[in-house]
Amino acid sequence: MAKFLSRYFNAVFGLSILVVIGLVALFAPHIAPYEADRIFAGPRLSPPSAAYPFGTDALGRDMFSRVVHGARLTAYVGTIALVIGLGAGAVVGLAAGYSRTWLRGFLMRVIDLLYSFPGLLIALALVAFIGPSLENAMIAVGISTIPFFARVTYSVVIVERAKPYFDSGRVIGAGSLRLMVFYLLPNVLPALIVVGSLGFSTAILAAAGLSFLGLGAQPPAPEWGALLADGRSYMTNAPWLMIFPGLSIFLVVLAFNLVGDAMSEHFDPRQRWKR
Amino acid sequence: MEGVTPEQIEEMRRQLGLGQPAWVQSALYVWHAIQGDFGHTIVGREPVLGFLLSRLPATLALTASGLGIAIAIGLPLGFLAAYNRGRWIDNTLMFISVLGISMPSFWLGLMLLLTVPVYLDFIPVAGEGPASIILPALTLGLVYSAVIARMTRSAMIEVLSEDFIRTARAKGLRETIVMSRHAFKPASISIVTVIGLIFGSMMGGQVIVENVFSWNGLGRVAVLAMQQRDYPTIQGFIILFAAIIVTVSVILDMIYLWIDPRVRTG
Repeated sequence: MAKFLSRYFNAVFGLSILVVIGLVALFAPHIAPYEADRIFAGPRLSPPSAAYPFGTDALGRDMFSRVVHGARLTAYVGTIALVIGLGAGAVVGLAAGYSRTWLRGFLMRVIDLLYSFPGLLIALALVAFIGPSLENAMIAVGISTIPFFARVTYSVVIVERAKPYFDSGRVIGAGSLRLMVFYLLPNVLPALIVVGSLGFSTAILAAAGLSFLGLGAQPPAPEWGALLADGRSYMTNAPWLMIFPGLSIFLVVLAFNLVGDAMSEHFDPRQRWKR
Repeated sequence: MEGVTPEQIEEMRRQLGLGQPAWVQSALYVWHAIQGDFGHTIVGREPVLGFLLSRLPATLALTASGLGIAIAIGLPLGFLAAYNRGRWIDNTLMFISVLGISMPSFWLGLMLLLTVPVYLDFIPVAGEGPASIILPALTLGLVYSAVIARMTRSAMIEVLSEDFIRTARAKGLRETIVMSRHAFKPASISIVTVIGLIFGSMMGGQVIVENVFSWNGLGRVAVLAMQQRDYPTIQGFIILFAAIIVTVSVILDMIYLWIDPRVRTG
Protein backbone atom coordinates (compact mmCIF):
# COMPACT_ATOMS: atom_id res chain seq x y z
CA MET A 1 0.00 0.00 0.00
CA ALA A 2 2.75 2.41 0.95
CA LYS A 3 4.61 1.46 -2.20
CA PHE A 4 1.49 1.95 -4.30
CA LEU A 5 0.92 5.35 -2.71
CA SER A 6 4.45 6.55 -3.29
CA ARG A 7 4.43 5.36 -6.90
CA TYR A 8 1.03 6.82 -7.66
CA PHE A 9 1.18 9.74 -5.25
CA ASN A 10 0.69 12.29 -8.00
CA ALA A 11 -2.24 10.45 -9.52
CA VAL A 12 -3.95 9.93 -6.16
CA PHE A 13 -3.40 13.57 -5.28
CA GLY A 14 -4.83 14.69 -8.63
CA LEU A 15 -7.81 12.35 -8.40
CA SER A 16 -8.65 13.57 -4.89
CA ILE A 17 -8.75 17.17 -6.11
CA LEU A 18 -11.00 16.13 -8.98
CA VAL A 19 -13.37 14.23 -6.70
CA VAL A 20 -13.66 17.19 -4.33
CA ILE A 21 -14.24 19.70 -7.12
CA GLY A 22 -16.64 17.32 -8.85
CA LEU A 23 -18.70 17.05 -5.67
CA VAL A 24 -18.62 20.82 -5.21
CA ALA A 25 -19.90 21.29 -8.76
CA LEU A 26 -22.60 18.66 -8.28
CA PHE A 27 -23.92 20.00 -4.97
CA ALA A 28 -23.13 23.68 -5.59
CA PRO A 29 -26.55 25.03 -4.55
CA HIS A 30 -26.36 23.07 -1.28
CA ILE A 31 -22.79 24.05 -0.46
CA ALA A 32 -22.94 27.72 -1.36
CA PRO A 33 -24.59 29.82 1.36
CA TYR A 34 -25.93 32.31 -1.21
CA GLU A 35 -26.94 32.35 -4.87
CA ALA A 36 -24.03 33.22 -7.14
CA ASP A 37 -25.30 36.67 -8.11
CA ARG A 38 -27.14 37.67 -4.95
CA ILE A 39 -25.97 41.25 -4.39
CA PHE A 40 -25.45 42.67 -0.90
CA ALA A 41 -25.27 39.23 0.62
CA GLY A 42 -22.69 40.92 2.84
CA PRO A 43 -20.85 44.21 3.18
CA ARG A 44 -18.98 45.49 0.11
CA LEU A 45 -15.36 44.36 -0.37
CA SER A 46 -15.15 42.58 2.95
CA PRO A 47 -11.99 40.53 3.46
CA PRO A 48 -12.23 36.75 4.04
CA SER A 49 -13.89 35.98 7.36
CA ALA A 50 -15.82 33.15 9.00
CA ALA A 51 -19.09 34.34 7.44
CA TYR A 52 -17.55 35.01 4.01
CA PRO A 53 -14.62 32.60 3.67
CA PHE A 54 -13.46 34.05 0.32
CA GLY A 55 -14.52 37.62 1.08
CA THR A 56 -17.09 39.68 -0.82
CA ASP A 57 -16.84 41.72 -4.02
CA ALA A 58 -17.69 45.33 -4.82
CA LEU A 59 -21.42 44.53 -4.99
CA GLY A 60 -21.32 42.62 -1.73
CA ARG A 61 -21.63 39.26 -3.48
CA ASP A 62 -20.23 36.33 -1.53
CA MET A 63 -17.10 35.15 -3.36
CA PHE A 64 -17.27 31.68 -1.86
CA SER A 65 -20.72 31.15 -3.36
CA ARG A 66 -19.54 32.54 -6.69
CA VAL A 67 -16.47 30.31 -6.83
CA VAL A 68 -18.55 27.26 -5.85
CA HIS A 69 -21.09 27.96 -8.60
CA GLY A 70 -18.19 28.62 -10.97
CA ALA A 71 -17.11 25.00 -10.55
CA ARG A 72 -20.26 24.01 -12.47
CA LEU A 73 -19.38 26.32 -15.34
CA THR A 74 -15.84 24.96 -15.46
CA ALA A 75 -17.08 21.37 -15.58
CA TYR A 76 -19.58 22.37 -18.28
CA VAL A 77 -17.00 24.22 -20.38
CA GLY A 78 -14.40 21.45 -20.09
CA THR A 79 -16.89 18.72 -20.98
CA ILE A 80 -18.42 20.43 -24.00
CA ALA A 81 -15.03 21.51 -25.36
CA LEU A 82 -13.68 18.00 -24.89
CA VAL A 83 -16.71 16.40 -26.57
CA ILE A 84 -16.31 18.70 -29.58
CA GLY A 85 -12.53 18.39 -29.84
CA LEU A 86 -12.24 14.71 -29.09
CA GLY A 87 -15.33 13.72 -31.08
CA ALA A 88 -14.48 15.62 -34.24
CA GLY A 89 -10.78 14.85 -33.86
CA ALA A 90 -11.48 11.12 -33.61
CA VAL A 91 -13.72 11.20 -36.70
CA VAL A 92 -11.15 13.11 -38.77
CA GLY A 93 -8.26 10.96 -37.49
CA LEU A 94 -10.15 7.72 -38.19
CA ALA A 95 -11.14 8.84 -41.67
CA ALA A 96 -7.62 10.01 -42.51
CA GLY A 97 -5.97 6.90 -41.09
CA TYR A 98 -8.43 4.51 -42.72
CA SER A 99 -8.47 6.12 -46.14
CA ARG A 100 -5.97 5.08 -48.77
CA THR A 101 -6.99 7.74 -51.24
CA TRP A 102 -6.37 11.45 -51.70
CA LEU A 103 -8.61 12.03 -48.67
CA ARG A 104 -5.84 10.98 -46.29
CA GLY A 105 -3.31 13.44 -47.68
CA PHE A 106 -5.86 16.20 -47.83
CA LEU A 107 -7.12 15.71 -44.26
CA MET A 108 -3.66 15.38 -42.77
CA ARG A 109 -2.34 18.48 -44.54
CA VAL A 110 -5.27 20.52 -43.23
CA ILE A 111 -4.66 19.13 -39.73
CA ASP A 112 -0.93 19.89 -39.96
CA LEU A 113 -1.71 23.41 -41.07
CA LEU A 114 -4.01 24.03 -38.10
CA TYR A 115 -1.68 22.26 -35.71
CA SER A 116 1.15 24.63 -36.48
CA PHE A 117 -0.83 27.50 -34.96
CA PRO A 118 -1.22 27.83 -31.20
CA GLY A 119 -4.63 26.58 -30.07
CA LEU A 120 -5.33 29.75 -28.14
CA LEU A 121 -4.84 31.83 -31.27
CA ILE A 122 -7.32 29.69 -33.22
CA ALA A 123 -9.80 29.97 -30.37
CA LEU A 124 -9.29 33.75 -30.21
CA ALA A 125 -9.83 34.11 -33.94
CA LEU A 126 -13.00 31.99 -33.84
CA VAL A 127 -14.46 33.90 -30.88
CA ALA A 128 -13.62 37.18 -32.60
CA PHE A 129 -15.86 36.23 -35.48
CA ILE A 130 -18.70 34.35 -33.78
CA GLY A 131 -18.89 36.82 -30.90
CA PRO A 132 -17.98 36.65 -27.23
CA SER A 133 -20.07 34.38 -24.99
CA LEU A 134 -19.40 31.39 -22.79
CA GLU A 135 -21.02 29.02 -25.30
CA ASN A 136 -19.00 30.41 -28.19
CA ALA A 137 -15.82 30.27 -26.12
CA MET A 138 -16.24 26.57 -25.44
CA ILE A 139 -17.11 25.83 -29.05
CA ALA A 140 -14.02 27.76 -30.15
CA VAL A 141 -11.79 26.03 -27.60
CA GLY A 142 -13.24 22.66 -28.63
CA ILE A 143 -12.55 23.34 -32.30
CA SER A 144 -9.03 24.53 -31.53
CA THR A 145 -8.20 21.13 -29.99
CA ILE A 146 -9.48 19.09 -32.96
CA PRO A 147 -6.07 18.96 -34.71
CA PHE A 148 -4.42 17.57 -31.58
CA PHE A 149 -6.95 14.74 -31.13
CA ALA A 150 -7.00 14.03 -34.86
CA ARG A 151 -3.24 13.55 -34.89
CA VAL A 152 -3.29 11.22 -31.90
CA THR A 153 -6.08 9.15 -33.48
CA TYR A 154 -4.33 9.06 -36.83
CA SER A 155 -1.04 7.88 -35.35
CA VAL A 156 -2.78 4.97 -33.60
CA VAL A 157 -4.96 4.06 -36.57
CA ILE A 158 -2.11 3.67 -39.03
CA VAL A 159 -0.45 1.21 -36.63
CA GLU A 160 -3.66 -0.70 -35.95
CA ARG A 161 -4.76 -1.05 -39.56
CA ALA A 162 -1.55 -2.91 -40.35
CA LYS A 163 -2.40 -5.65 -37.83
CA PRO A 164 -3.87 -9.02 -38.84
CA TYR A 165 -7.21 -8.54 -37.08
CA PHE A 166 -7.94 -5.60 -39.33
CA ASP A 167 -7.17 -7.63 -42.47
CA SER A 168 -9.31 -10.49 -41.20
CA GLY A 169 -12.19 -8.08 -40.76
CA ARG A 170 -11.77 -6.89 -44.30
CA VAL A 171 -11.58 -10.44 -45.64
CA ILE A 172 -14.87 -11.44 -44.02
CA GLY A 173 -16.42 -8.49 -45.82
CA ALA A 174 -16.89 -5.81 -43.18
CA GLY A 175 -17.74 -2.43 -44.69
CA SER A 176 -15.72 0.74 -44.17
CA LEU A 177 -17.97 2.06 -41.42
CA ARG A 178 -17.95 -1.26 -39.57
CA LEU A 179 -14.17 -1.50 -39.83
CA MET A 180 -13.72 2.00 -38.48
CA VAL A 181 -16.25 1.83 -35.66
CA PHE A 182 -15.94 -1.77 -34.47
CA TYR A 183 -12.36 -2.63 -35.37
CA LEU A 184 -10.28 0.53 -35.17
CA LEU A 185 -12.16 2.74 -32.71
CA PRO A 186 -12.01 0.38 -29.70
CA ASN A 187 -8.23 0.26 -30.09
CA VAL A 188 -7.92 4.01 -30.41
CA LEU A 189 -10.01 4.72 -27.31
CA PRO A 190 -7.36 3.96 -24.65
CA ALA A 191 -4.98 6.47 -26.24
CA LEU A 192 -7.79 9.02 -26.53
CA ILE A 193 -8.76 8.61 -22.88
CA VAL A 194 -5.17 9.27 -21.82
CA VAL A 195 -4.73 12.40 -23.91
CA GLY A 196 -8.32 13.40 -23.13
CA SER A 197 -7.33 14.14 -19.56
CA LEU A 198 -4.59 16.47 -20.77
CA GLY A 199 -7.03 17.91 -23.32
CA PHE A 200 -9.47 18.70 -20.54
CA SER A 201 -6.88 20.77 -18.68
CA THR A 202 -5.88 22.61 -21.87
CA ALA A 203 -9.53 23.37 -22.61
CA ILE A 204 -10.24 24.71 -19.12
CA LEU A 205 -7.14 26.88 -19.18
CA ALA A 206 -7.95 28.27 -22.62
CA ALA A 207 -11.60 28.95 -21.80
CA ALA A 208 -10.67 30.68 -18.55
CA GLY A 209 -8.14 32.75 -20.49
CA LEU A 210 -10.78 33.80 -23.01
CA SER A 211 -13.18 34.75 -20.22
CA PHE A 212 -10.40 36.68 -18.52
CA LEU A 213 -9.90 38.67 -21.73
CA GLY A 214 -13.63 39.42 -21.79
CA LEU A 215 -14.16 37.15 -24.80
CA GLY A 216 -15.83 34.27 -22.95
CA ALA A 217 -18.30 34.25 -20.10
CA GLN A 218 -19.97 37.63 -19.66
CA PRO A 219 -20.90 39.25 -16.33
CA PRO A 220 -22.53 38.32 -14.03
CA ALA A 221 -21.63 34.67 -14.79
CA PRO A 222 -19.35 33.44 -11.98
CA GLU A 223 -16.89 31.82 -14.40
CA TRP A 224 -13.46 31.71 -12.74
CA GLY A 225 -11.60 33.53 -15.49
CA ALA A 226 -14.31 36.22 -15.58
CA LEU A 227 -14.15 36.55 -11.78
CA LEU A 228 -10.43 37.24 -12.08
CA ALA A 229 -11.05 39.92 -14.68
CA ASP A 230 -13.73 41.48 -12.43
CA GLY A 231 -11.44 41.50 -9.43
CA ARG A 232 -8.64 43.26 -11.28
CA SER A 233 -10.03 46.74 -10.70
CA TYR A 234 -9.88 46.17 -6.93
CA MET A 235 -6.53 44.44 -7.03
CA THR A 236 -4.71 46.49 -4.43
CA ASN A 237 -7.44 46.85 -1.81
CA ALA A 238 -9.22 43.52 -2.33
CA PRO A 239 -6.66 40.92 -3.44
CA TRP A 240 -8.91 38.05 -2.28
CA LEU A 241 -11.09 38.69 -5.33
CA MET A 242 -8.24 37.36 -7.46
CA ILE A 243 -6.61 34.82 -5.20
CA PHE A 244 -9.47 32.33 -4.89
CA PRO A 245 -10.78 32.09 -8.47
CA GLY A 246 -7.21 31.82 -9.77
CA LEU A 247 -6.33 29.18 -7.22
CA SER A 248 -9.38 27.18 -8.30
CA ILE A 249 -8.38 27.24 -11.97
CA PHE A 250 -4.84 26.28 -11.02
CA LEU A 251 -5.96 23.33 -8.87
CA VAL A 252 -8.32 21.88 -11.50
CA VAL A 253 -5.76 22.16 -14.27
CA LEU A 254 -3.08 20.71 -12.01
CA ALA A 255 -5.31 17.77 -11.11
CA PHE A 256 -6.03 16.89 -14.74
CA ASN A 257 -2.35 17.23 -15.63
CA LEU A 258 -1.28 14.93 -12.78
CA VAL A 259 -3.88 12.30 -13.69
CA GLY A 260 -3.07 12.59 -17.39
CA ASP A 261 0.67 12.25 -16.76
CA ALA A 262 0.15 9.22 -14.54
CA MET A 263 -2.06 7.57 -17.13
CA SER A 264 0.29 8.14 -20.03
CA GLU A 265 3.16 6.86 -17.91
CA HIS A 266 1.14 3.79 -16.97
CA PHE A 267 0.03 2.95 -20.50
CA ASP A 268 3.32 3.72 -22.23
CA PRO A 269 5.96 1.25 -21.04
CA ARG A 270 8.69 3.29 -22.68
CA GLN A 271 7.92 6.22 -20.43
CA ARG A 272 7.64 4.03 -17.36
CA TRP A 273 11.10 2.73 -18.06
CA LYS A 274 12.34 6.29 -18.32
CA ARG A 275 11.52 7.11 -14.73
CA MET B 1 -29.17 56.98 -36.90
CA GLU B 2 -29.48 60.68 -36.33
CA GLY B 3 -27.37 63.21 -38.12
CA VAL B 4 -26.33 60.79 -40.84
CA THR B 5 -27.83 61.36 -44.27
CA PRO B 6 -28.75 58.40 -46.49
CA GLU B 7 -26.13 59.72 -48.93
CA GLN B 8 -23.42 59.38 -46.28
CA ILE B 9 -24.50 55.80 -45.51
CA GLU B 10 -24.49 55.01 -49.23
CA GLU B 11 -21.01 56.57 -49.59
CA MET B 12 -19.69 54.50 -46.66
CA ARG B 13 -21.15 51.29 -48.12
CA ARG B 14 -19.53 52.08 -51.44
CA GLN B 15 -16.16 52.80 -49.80
CA LEU B 16 -16.23 49.52 -47.88
CA GLY B 17 -17.36 47.60 -50.94
CA LEU B 18 -20.40 46.24 -49.13
CA GLY B 19 -22.54 46.28 -52.28
CA GLN B 20 -20.54 43.48 -53.85
CA PRO B 21 -21.16 39.77 -53.30
CA ALA B 22 -19.23 38.21 -50.42
CA TRP B 23 -16.90 36.22 -52.64
CA VAL B 24 -15.88 39.35 -54.54
CA GLN B 25 -15.18 41.10 -51.24
CA SER B 26 -13.03 38.16 -50.09
CA ALA B 27 -11.15 37.99 -53.37
CA LEU B 28 -10.53 41.74 -53.25
CA TYR B 29 -9.29 41.44 -49.66
CA VAL B 30 -6.78 38.78 -50.68
CA TRP B 31 -5.77 40.75 -53.77
CA HIS B 32 -5.12 43.87 -51.70
CA ALA B 33 -3.50 41.92 -48.88
CA ILE B 34 -0.83 40.41 -51.10
CA GLN B 35 0.04 43.95 -52.08
CA GLY B 36 0.41 44.88 -48.42
CA ASP B 37 -2.95 46.64 -48.06
CA PHE B 38 -4.96 45.09 -45.23
CA GLY B 39 -7.61 47.79 -45.25
CA HIS B 40 -8.24 50.41 -42.58
CA THR B 41 -9.02 49.96 -38.91
CA ILE B 42 -12.66 50.67 -38.16
CA VAL B 43 -12.00 52.59 -34.96
CA GLY B 44 -9.09 54.86 -35.92
CA ARG B 45 -9.38 54.74 -39.75
CA GLU B 46 -5.63 54.15 -40.11
CA PRO B 47 -4.04 51.55 -42.41
CA VAL B 48 -4.12 48.19 -40.58
CA LEU B 49 -0.64 47.11 -41.58
CA GLY B 50 1.12 50.26 -40.40
CA PHE B 51 -0.91 50.28 -37.20
CA LEU B 52 0.03 46.68 -36.40
CA LEU B 53 3.67 47.05 -37.43
CA SER B 54 4.03 49.98 -35.02
CA ARG B 55 3.15 47.57 -32.19
CA LEU B 56 5.33 44.74 -33.45
CA PRO B 57 8.60 45.79 -31.72
CA ALA B 58 6.92 45.76 -28.29
CA THR B 59 5.62 42.24 -28.90
CA LEU B 60 8.94 40.95 -30.22
CA ALA B 61 10.83 42.45 -27.27
CA LEU B 62 8.50 40.70 -24.83
CA THR B 63 8.64 37.36 -26.67
CA ALA B 64 12.41 37.47 -26.90
CA SER B 65 12.97 38.30 -23.24
CA GLY B 66 10.31 35.80 -22.13
CA LEU B 67 11.90 33.08 -24.24
CA GLY B 68 15.32 34.06 -22.91
CA ILE B 69 14.17 33.70 -19.30
CA ALA B 70 12.35 30.43 -20.08
CA ILE B 71 15.49 28.94 -21.63
CA ALA B 72 17.79 30.25 -18.91
CA ILE B 73 15.67 28.59 -16.22
CA GLY B 74 14.22 25.57 -18.01
CA LEU B 75 17.26 24.24 -19.81
CA PRO B 76 19.60 23.75 -16.81
CA LEU B 77 16.79 22.38 -14.66
CA GLY B 78 15.70 19.90 -17.34
CA PHE B 79 19.30 18.83 -17.74
CA LEU B 80 19.69 18.43 -13.98
CA ALA B 81 16.52 16.33 -13.76
CA ALA B 82 17.57 14.05 -16.63
CA TYR B 83 21.02 13.57 -15.15
CA ASN B 84 19.54 12.58 -11.79
CA ARG B 85 16.72 10.59 -13.32
CA GLY B 86 14.54 8.83 -10.74
CA ARG B 87 16.21 10.44 -7.75
CA TRP B 88 14.54 12.89 -5.41
CA ILE B 89 15.97 15.90 -7.23
CA ASP B 90 14.34 14.72 -10.46
CA ASN B 91 11.02 14.02 -8.75
CA THR B 92 11.02 17.40 -7.04
CA LEU B 93 11.90 19.29 -10.21
CA MET B 94 9.27 17.46 -12.22
CA PHE B 95 6.61 18.12 -9.60
CA ILE B 96 7.48 21.83 -9.66
CA SER B 97 7.29 21.79 -13.44
CA VAL B 98 3.78 20.28 -13.37
CA LEU B 99 2.83 23.14 -11.06
CA GLY B 100 4.30 25.55 -13.59
CA ILE B 101 2.49 23.99 -16.54
CA SER B 102 -0.82 24.12 -14.68
CA MET B 103 -0.38 27.77 -13.72
CA PRO B 104 -2.69 30.09 -15.67
CA SER B 105 -0.36 32.77 -17.01
CA PHE B 106 -2.89 35.50 -16.27
CA TRP B 107 -3.13 34.45 -12.65
CA LEU B 108 0.63 34.19 -12.21
CA GLY B 109 0.95 37.64 -13.76
CA LEU B 110 -1.60 39.15 -11.39
CA MET B 111 0.00 37.48 -8.38
CA LEU B 112 3.42 38.82 -9.39
CA LEU B 113 1.88 42.27 -9.77
CA LEU B 114 0.46 41.99 -6.27
CA THR B 115 3.60 40.80 -4.57
CA VAL B 116 6.81 41.75 -6.37
CA PRO B 117 6.51 45.57 -6.51
CA VAL B 118 5.70 45.59 -2.78
CA TYR B 119 9.09 44.19 -1.93
CA LEU B 120 11.14 45.45 -4.86
CA ASP B 121 9.92 48.97 -5.36
CA PHE B 122 12.20 49.71 -8.32
CA ILE B 123 10.10 47.39 -10.49
CA PRO B 124 7.29 49.33 -12.10
CA VAL B 125 3.77 47.85 -11.99
CA ALA B 126 2.88 49.08 -15.45
CA GLY B 127 3.60 51.91 -17.80
CA GLU B 128 6.41 52.94 -20.07
CA GLY B 129 10.15 52.59 -19.82
CA PRO B 130 12.51 49.67 -20.24
CA ALA B 131 12.02 48.37 -16.67
CA SER B 132 8.30 47.81 -17.22
CA ILE B 133 9.14 44.74 -19.30
CA ILE B 134 10.46 42.87 -16.24
CA LEU B 135 7.20 41.55 -14.83
CA PRO B 136 5.53 40.51 -18.11
CA ALA B 137 8.73 38.85 -19.31
CA LEU B 138 9.09 37.06 -15.98
CA THR B 139 5.50 35.80 -16.15
CA LEU B 140 5.93 34.47 -19.66
CA GLY B 141 9.37 33.08 -18.86
CA LEU B 142 8.34 31.27 -15.68
CA VAL B 143 5.33 29.55 -17.25
CA TYR B 144 7.26 28.35 -20.28
CA SER B 145 10.41 27.41 -18.37
CA ALA B 146 8.33 24.58 -16.91
CA VAL B 147 7.52 23.33 -20.42
CA ILE B 148 11.14 23.66 -21.52
CA ALA B 149 12.39 21.81 -18.42
CA ARG B 150 10.07 18.87 -19.09
CA MET B 151 10.95 18.63 -22.76
CA THR B 152 14.68 19.06 -22.17
CA ARG B 153 14.52 16.29 -19.60
CA SER B 154 13.02 13.76 -22.00
CA ALA B 155 15.39 14.82 -24.80
CA MET B 156 18.40 14.41 -22.52
CA ILE B 157 17.22 11.07 -21.19
CA GLU B 158 16.98 9.85 -24.77
CA VAL B 159 20.55 10.96 -25.49
CA LEU B 160 22.02 9.74 -22.20
CA SER B 161 20.83 6.19 -22.91
CA GLU B 162 22.64 6.09 -26.28
CA ASP B 163 25.46 3.64 -26.80
CA PHE B 164 28.05 6.32 -27.55
CA ILE B 165 27.56 7.80 -24.09
CA ARG B 166 28.23 4.39 -22.53
CA THR B 167 31.31 4.05 -24.75
CA ALA B 168 32.59 7.47 -23.77
CA ARG B 169 32.16 6.66 -20.10
CA ALA B 170 33.66 3.19 -20.53
CA LYS B 171 36.83 4.55 -22.02
CA GLY B 172 37.29 6.58 -18.86
CA LEU B 173 36.47 10.10 -19.99
CA ARG B 174 35.70 12.56 -17.29
CA GLU B 175 31.98 13.10 -16.73
CA THR B 176 32.18 16.82 -17.60
CA ILE B 177 33.66 15.97 -21.00
CA VAL B 178 31.07 13.27 -21.68
CA MET B 179 28.33 15.74 -20.88
CA SER B 180 29.67 18.77 -22.72
CA ARG B 181 31.06 17.03 -25.83
CA HIS B 182 29.13 13.81 -26.27
CA ALA B 183 25.76 14.51 -24.77
CA PHE B 184 25.15 18.20 -25.28
CA LYS B 185 25.67 18.30 -29.03
CA PRO B 186 23.05 15.74 -30.05
CA ALA B 187 20.73 17.04 -27.34
CA SER B 188 20.99 20.58 -28.68
CA ILE B 189 19.18 19.38 -31.81
CA SER B 190 16.21 18.22 -29.78
CA ILE B 191 16.35 21.42 -27.81
CA VAL B 192 15.99 23.49 -30.97
CA THR B 193 12.94 21.34 -31.73
CA VAL B 194 11.63 22.03 -28.24
CA ILE B 195 12.00 25.77 -28.68
CA GLY B 196 10.25 25.56 -32.02
CA LEU B 197 7.39 23.64 -30.42
CA ILE B 198 6.86 26.05 -27.58
CA PHE B 199 7.36 29.20 -29.62
CA GLY B 200 3.93 28.83 -31.16
CA SER B 201 2.12 28.30 -27.89
CA MET B 202 4.16 31.09 -26.37
CA MET B 203 2.80 33.48 -28.98
CA GLY B 204 -0.64 32.47 -27.72
CA GLY B 205 0.34 33.02 -24.10
CA GLN B 206 1.81 36.33 -25.12
CA VAL B 207 -1.65 37.65 -26.00
CA ILE B 208 -2.86 37.00 -22.45
CA VAL B 209 0.25 38.34 -20.71
CA GLU B 210 0.20 41.56 -22.75
CA ASN B 211 -3.35 42.14 -21.58
CA VAL B 212 -2.56 41.46 -17.93
CA PHE B 213 0.17 44.08 -17.93
CA SER B 214 -1.36 46.47 -20.49
CA TRP B 215 1.77 45.91 -22.56
CA ASN B 216 1.21 47.84 -25.76
CA GLY B 217 1.92 45.07 -28.22
CA LEU B 218 -0.02 43.18 -30.88
CA GLY B 219 -1.86 40.98 -28.40
CA ARG B 220 -3.28 43.95 -26.53
CA VAL B 221 -4.33 45.63 -29.76
CA ALA B 222 -5.93 42.41 -31.00
CA VAL B 223 -8.05 41.85 -27.90
CA LEU B 224 -9.17 45.49 -27.94
CA ALA B 225 -10.09 45.05 -31.60
CA MET B 226 -12.02 41.88 -30.74
CA GLN B 227 -13.99 43.69 -28.05
CA GLN B 228 -14.73 46.52 -30.50
CA ARG B 229 -15.47 44.13 -33.39
CA ASP B 230 -12.81 45.83 -35.49
CA TYR B 231 -12.65 43.08 -38.09
CA PRO B 232 -9.96 44.45 -40.45
CA THR B 233 -7.59 44.77 -37.46
CA ILE B 234 -8.41 41.24 -36.26
CA GLN B 235 -7.80 39.80 -39.73
CA GLY B 236 -4.52 41.68 -40.05
CA PHE B 237 -3.44 40.52 -36.60
CA ILE B 238 -4.10 36.86 -37.40
CA ILE B 239 -2.22 37.09 -40.68
CA LEU B 240 0.72 38.88 -39.07
CA PHE B 241 0.91 36.40 -36.17
CA ALA B 242 0.78 33.50 -38.62
CA ALA B 243 3.58 35.12 -40.63
CA ILE B 244 5.72 35.46 -37.49
CA ILE B 245 5.20 31.81 -36.55
CA VAL B 246 6.01 30.61 -40.07
CA THR B 247 9.12 32.81 -40.22
CA VAL B 248 10.39 31.44 -36.93
CA SER B 249 9.83 27.84 -38.09
CA VAL B 250 11.85 28.54 -41.22
CA ILE B 251 14.67 30.09 -39.19
CA LEU B 252 14.69 27.05 -36.90
CA ASP B 253 14.89 24.76 -39.92
CA MET B 254 17.96 26.72 -41.03
CA ILE B 255 19.51 26.22 -37.60
CA TYR B 256 18.99 22.47 -37.98
CA LEU B 257 20.88 22.60 -41.21
CA TRP B 258 23.70 24.35 -39.45
CA ILE B 259 24.02 22.19 -36.32
CA ASP B 260 23.09 18.76 -37.69
CA PRO B 261 25.29 17.45 -40.51
CA ARG B 262 22.85 14.56 -41.11
CA VAL B 263 20.16 16.98 -42.28
CA ARG B 264 22.61 18.61 -44.70
CA THR B 265 23.51 15.42 -46.52
CA GLY B 266 20.06 13.86 -46.32
